[in-house]
Amino acid sequence: MASLQRAILMLILCGYTAFAAGPFVWAAMLSLRTTTEIHIDHFALPDPIHWEKFPDAWFNSNYATYFLNSVQVVVAAVLIVTIVGAMAAHCLARYRFRLNRVIYFVLFSTIIFPPQITIISLFQVLVNYGLYNSKLGLTLVYVAIQLPLTVYILESFFARIPADLFDAARMDGYSDWEIFWRVALPVALPAVATTVILNFILLWNEFLFAVVLITEEANRTLPLGIQRFIGDTQEDIGMIATGLMIAIIPVVAIYAFFSEKLIQGMTAGAVK
Amino acid sequence: MAEGAETSPQDDGLRRPWGTIVTFLLPALTLYVALTAYPAIRTFWNSFHIVLPRREEFVGLANYVELVRDDIFWRAVSNTLVWACASPVIEVSIALLLALALYAKVPGARFFRVAWFTPVLMSYIVVGILWLWIYNYDWGPINVALRALGLDHLARPWLGDPDTALPALIFVTSWMWVGFNMVVLLAALHSLPREVIEAAELDNCGWGGKLIFVILPLVSATLLNLVVLSFIGKMKIFDLVWITTKGNPLWSTETVSTYVYKRAFEWTTFDLGYPSTIAAVWFVIVLGAVLGLTRLFRLRERLEY
Repeated sequence: MASLQRAILMLILCGYTAFAAGPFVWAAMLSLRTTTEIHIDHFALPDPIHWEKFPDAWFNSNYATYFLNSVQVVVAAVLIVTIVGAMAAHCLARYRFRLNRVIYFVLFSTIIFPPQITIISLFQVLVNYGLYNSKLGLTLVYVAIQLPLTVYILESFFARIPADLFDAARMDGYSDWEIFWRVALPVALPAVATTVILNFILLWNEFLFAVVLITEEANRTLPLGIQRFIGDTQEDIGMIATGLMIAIIPVVAIYAFFSEKLIQGMTAGAVK
Repeated sequence: MAEGAETSPQDDGLRRPWGTIVTFLLPALTLYVALTAYPAIRTFWNSFHIVLPRREEFVGLANYVELVRDDIFWRAVSNTLVWACASPVIEVSIALLLALALYAKVPGARFFRVAWFTPVLMSYIVVGILWLWIYNYDWGPINVALRALGLDHLARPWLGDPDTALPALIFVTSWMWVGFNMVVLLAALHSLPREVIEAAELDNCGWGGKLIFVILPLVSATLLNLVVLSFIGKMKIFDLVWITTKGNPLWSTETVSTYVYKRAFEWTTFDLGYPSTIAAVWFVIVLGAVLGLTRLFRLRERLEY
């Protein structure tokens, strides 16, 4: 009886796994087949395997540009938001001063803002400063939108570092900056790594701000590129699937190496 | 900020190096003020104006009056609210069942956990395209399966039919987020004190009783947190709709986010004032709803992992 229950339970779990992962497996299969093959049977295994579609998508449809733009914007934004956010988080966790909690609360409450409240005016602001339609402008906006979450996650970690550690460092003659750079940051490295991975994934997938703030082909990031790609290739399902896989691969690679860290980050961010 | 530098008599002996504090906070606050606070305030300012590329004109409450009469806006509000209310219920309840299944120590729990979490890592763009294909009328797996089962009359263009388009998209977001909710709940379950559950077992408490009287009350804070989180996420939804239906057919999947975008950047009115009014009103509604929900649930507890 108990073993029957077990079997049913396993069946349900495996069924759900197929449901959750199925679409990706299907997309992966489509990405290795030509559209002609796909039209004959949409669910057949890739045979022969058309690896050449990947270089084809990469070189013949500006994918290289989109990919490199995404890398530039996202890496720069993650770097800046990590340093700026860590400085602010360290300060809010370490020093007691008036306005401390006010600043923390204001930053924190921004997490629930719907993006519409800033997006129209950001468009105007970036146009005014000549940053509209530039990678620099998009990078700065990305830093701003991820800042609250970064500060929130890091602050709660910094706050748990024992004050003795800082007192000892001060005895050793460390300046405030050195305490941050040489003591707090290394100790908080696990939390910093979590925010880096989390921010990377969220920004890699970001679409709304990119679609408003970037119009020029040469500055498109990957999500915009995919949208464009669909418009251009229309019914060429095989090629679109290849394009999707190129966008998915970096995320899957990161997930393969850091799945635990990433799950931690997402769930920490969840409990905001 | 520097006027706070005077130290009070009951000072706890900590020094307040204002120079250092300002240095540490300045980059973050500059970015925050320039790219979040100022734009947010400017949106409210815009909402009382007509904002054309070279001209701004004060119109008082005219935009707000227009908003009240705007049927498409109300349609978008109702779609978004349906989404934001249905999703948390679906996602959290399925996630709870799955988390309990994994909690019962099945083999391969680690693998399941990692696999189920995957959809949430993909962008809505990728997910949207995948599901456009899954819902495809001619060769999408859903219709193919229905036809194979002889249920041809149920096969339909899921995203092209005004009756099924919104539920179909809600289904997609559930597919994406159930795994995430499950992982958070599983972590909460694993952090429950073992003694309590063992005590319940000693008292001859069956699985159902244990679930209702012991486990659910203990994870209620997490459950409610997830409900609020899912709610907020759906109030913002844009990408998925934009890549799949753009609000069609017949406004049946229009959300507030897509409508704001259309009015600001797609319609040839070129006026940024009216969409700002929508954004301002929506901001107040979202804020009010979230505050209301948290007040209702008294979510004071913060989870620690």
